[in-house]
This record gives sequence, C-alpha cells and structure tokens, in this order.
Amino acid sequence: MSSKNALIEVRNLRRSFDYGAVQALRGISFTVEQGEFVSIMGPSGSGKTTLLNILGALDSEFEGAVTIDSVEMRHLAEPERFRSRTIGFVFQSFHLLPALTALENVQMPMFERKWRASERRTRAAALLGSVGLEHRMDHRPSKLSGGERQRVAIARSLANEPKLLLADEPTGNLDSSDALKILEVLGAIHQQRNMTMIVVTHDCDVAAATNRTLRVRDGQLVEKQISNGA
Amino acid sequence: MSFFQLILKNLFRRRSRSLLTLGGISIGIAAVVSLSGIASGFERSWANVYKARGTDLVVTKSVTRSTMPGPFPFALKAELQRMPHVREVGALLSDVFSVEDSPTILVIGWETKTSLWNHVKLVSGKWPDDSSKNTVALGTLNAEMLGKTLGDKVQIESGEYTVCGIFSSPALAESGAIVMPLPAMQSLTNKEGMVNFFDIWLEPNTSVGDTEKLRVSIKAKFEGLTAFNPGSVAENNIAMQIAKAMTWAVSSIALVVGAIGVMNTILMSVFERLHEIGILLAIGWRRGRIMQMILAESLLLSLVGGFAGCGLGAVAARLLQMSPWVHGKLEADVGLPLLGIALLIAIALGALGGLYPAWIGSRMSPATALRQ
Repeated sequence: MSSKNALIEVRNLRRSFDYGAVQALRGISFTVEQGEFVSIMGPSGSGKTTLLNILGALDSEFEGAVTIDSVEMRHLAEPERFRSRTIGFVFQSFHLLPALTALENVQMPMFERKWRASERRTRAAALLGSVGLEHRMDHRPSKLSGGERQRVAIARSLANEPKLLLADEPTGNLDSSDALKILEVLGAIHQQRNMTMIVVTHDCDVAAATNRTLRVRDGQLVEKQISNGA
Repeated sequence: MSFFQLILKNLFRRRSRSLLTLGGISIGIAAVVSLSGIASGFERSWANVYKARGTDLVVTKSVTRSTMPGPFPFALKAELQRMPHVREVGALLSDVFSVEDSPTILVIGWETKTSLWNHVKLVSGKWPDDSSKNTVALGTLNAEMLGKTLGDKVQIESGEYTVCGIFSSPALAESGAIVMPLPAMQSLTNKEGMVNFFDIWLEPNTSVGDTEKLRVSIKAKFEGLTAFNPGSVAENNIAMQIAKAMTWAVSSIALVVGAIGVMNTILMSVFERLHEIGILLAIGWRRGRIMQMILAESLLLSLVGGFAGCGLGAVAARLLQMSPWVHGKLEADVGLPLLGIALLIAIALGALGGLYPAWIGSRMSPATALRQ
C-alpha cells in the first residue's frame, strides 16, 4: 500500500468514544497520493468527520498508524505547528471570526509565520482576489452571502501555503448556485496548485468533481476506490 | 493587521464591559497613588521640618501610645549637652489640637534662645517671649486658615491667646502650625518641666560614624528614650506608621477588587469566545499564542487603567490635600517614582487577572470548541 508519492498513509485506523462503547472508525486503511483530489462519502454518523479530525491533527486519540507528509500523527508533539504548516481547513459552517473583516480573517493563520503585517495583508488580499472576493475584502462575515463566506474560508485555508487541504462538507450549508461556485473554486485551486485535497461530502456532484471517492459506512471503507475520472 | 490591532479589536467588541473594568482598575490605582502620595507627603513634610532646622539628631520617647511622643523631663538636657560632639540641644513640646474651626492644628512650644528659631522668619509683629504666657505666633498658612492677623485672639483648648507675630517657615508643617514659648506650651498641656523632643545640633565636621556612635550611646544612657537621624523620621513616628499601614491596607483592598474585576472580564470574554479560540487552534495557532493574546488583552486593559488611575490619583491627592484635616500639614508627594510603582502594580494586576483565563483558553481542545 505504501507509495513513493503518498502524502497520506492510513493503516488500520480505529477510533472509539465513551470507553469503547461507540466505535467510530473500525480499521480503515488507505493512501492518498501527492496532488490527489479525494472525496469521502458516507451517511451521517459513518465516521467521516472523525476521520477528517484525525487527518487534520485535531484528534490524536486513535489506534493504528496515520502518516502525513512523513510525520506520524499519533502523539504529535506540536499538532498546532503541524496544522499551521501542513494543513488548510475548510468547514461546513465556515467558522470565520465574526468581528473581523474578510481580509483580517484570511490573515489569521499567518500570525504563525514570521511575516510582517504589510506582507500578511498583501498575501491575504491576493488570496481573496484568487477566489473572486477582491471587492468584498473589508466586509465582515455577517455582510457576506453563504457562498462568499465559504470562499473567504477557502482563502484562509490557503494562507500558509499548506500541502493538504481538508474540507468538511464545504457545500453543505449552501444553495446549489453557491455550491457550484465553491466546487469551481476548489477545482481551480487543485489544478493551479496541484494541492492534495480531501473533501468530506454528502453531495454526489462534489464527489464527482474529485479524482477518487472513498465510501465510509459504520466506520469502515465499503469501497476503497471509485475513480471519478475528474 | 497587527497582533496589537487584533487585541484592540477584541477589547472593543465589548466596549461597556471593557470601560467598566478600566474604571475599576483606575480607581484601584488612584487609591494607591493618592493615599501613598499623601502618606509620602506626610513623611516628607516632617523630614523637611528637621532639614529646615538643620537638626542632626532627634531625641524622643522610644515607645508611645499616641500620635505624639510622650513627655520626658526637660532636665535631661544638661546631660545631653555634655555628651561628645554635641554643640547645642533645643527642647520642644508639641501636640495637636482642635483650634476653632480647624480640626487638627499642630501647636509647638519652642525653647527660647536656641537654634530652633533660626530657620523661621518673622513676617510681621514680634516673637512671643517667656515673660508672656498668652501670646503666640502663627505660621503664614495657619494665619490664612484661621483667618487671623496680628492682635486677634485664638482659642486653644480653654486658653485664649493673642497673635503677636506671623512667621514663615520653609517647612509646610510649620507654616500650618502655632508656635509659643516652651513654658507656655507646658502650661497649656499641664506638663510643667516636660518636653517631648530634643533637637540636637552637632559640632561642625562630626563624622557619620561619630554621629552614629552618639546616637547609640544616647539610647543606651537614657532609658526609654531613642535618638534618630532626621532622615529616618518615618520609622520613629507612630502617626506616619499608621498612615502607611492604612495606605497599604486600603490600597490592597482596592487592588484585589481591581484584579478580580480584570479576571472576571477576561474570563467572561474567554468563555464567550471558546468557539473562536477553537477556530484559531484549528487553523494552526499555537497554544502559546492564544495565551499571549488573552494575556495581552488583560495587560492592555490594566495598563490603560493604570495610566488613567495615575491621573485620577494625582487629582485625588490634590483634593485630599485641600481638605481641612490635611490642609497646611503636608503637600502630597505624587512623583515619578510613585507613578512608576503604580504602573508596575497595574501591569502585575493585568498579569494576575489574565493568567487563569489565558490558561483556560489555551487548554481547549479545538475539536470540542468547534462543535460548540
């Protein structure tokens, strides 16, 4: 299963809650190559978000082995530093800071880099421009549409030039028109940056836009690989 | 956007709460500044009295139960006069009285024909002498406070005195005092033959070592008496010690209230922002940076409160100085060292009040916080 170009290697991943009463993941194994665009599909409660949290170094209480960019994720000494340098997150509920403008929100992850304030601003403005929001930079999230908020969140996820972008239901809170735009933005990022991307979704249209789909049910992969030809 | 701008934004999000906390801190710091300024001014005004008189050593009772040292025999002067390096000894008896509308006026009986009178300057009239027991001289500030001039009568306790002179003194405490000859003061206080201070002037060129030897030998020779250098007047004055103790007691209470206020504000702000802190952790902020952010908010709040408190305290000290209980006895000493200490206290308050909320915020699990 190991590959020279693998960015992510997951082996026999298990995760339980409530002292083993709830088995969220039951021995999942898969590999994601550098530059792949992968979707993870499954019904609610199937373990998708648990898997994403582990891949995003938000949860280290698992059994099995998870390696991302050659770093073993279990017992990671500084998960925040790893997240800051390697991973960009896009959430279903956007999770923008309400008191800050779009431009300021995008600058937030950059505080972990030794960039000057002016450089942070320039980079954030360029990222917002790349998702078509150059005219909405000074607006707070409450003044933006759902689609615009998600585009701000995508720009923020790219702030520190991560190797891996993880998106949890990025179109889940959007109407079909906004969802389509988000798909276009994610597709463009993948193409332009050759970035490894994993999207958790319920939406077949989103899954169809990715290279490959992993289907999860009851904490297990039911079909290891469906090539979408995207 | 700089880190500082982010801190400001966070504080401005709850303006009223931040302003109220700021008010709490500034009142605490103002209490420190004004009370310490008054206590320090009190100390300095007495140090100035001895400085003005040029006194080298002061002899008084070592144990006292009131704000003024207790009396001891004038007759001890002769023995003191014979001790090595002693050039002159001046005896005085002083006490505090309620005089007409002024609640606390210092009244001093000075031994005539001693250097005690040298530093004061007669502005008008003449000095009272031993032959007259019913005349007094008023310091310029005292005359102003009591609204008296030459020839007017002043009621002190049961006695009525005529103002025969008005004098100026480089020491504020004396400017606000009433002076009479020692026998008249002994008669007023029913302490005939007694004094409560000896001021000692030493021979020129007496070394510091010899002064110290003399001080120690006075203490050893005269049981119940102590000798001190005018510079250490605070340690030998019970009123000053009480003033200092009161200052620190009131200031400590004010500061504890201030620290709790800061902690409450920052803690509330952290609990309200748990979700946001979770987002910051999820997007890669280190836990140390979360701590930095929360501590910086707390420190900034306290520092601004500290500056406001320094200003407020300086004004409060001025107002206290003008109150009838204090007017004419001291000048509040609100100098840079005191303001610097007050600002350091404000910073300590901020650090103390912010530490626990910062720890709480930085210990969060981002996954849990994001679910909230």
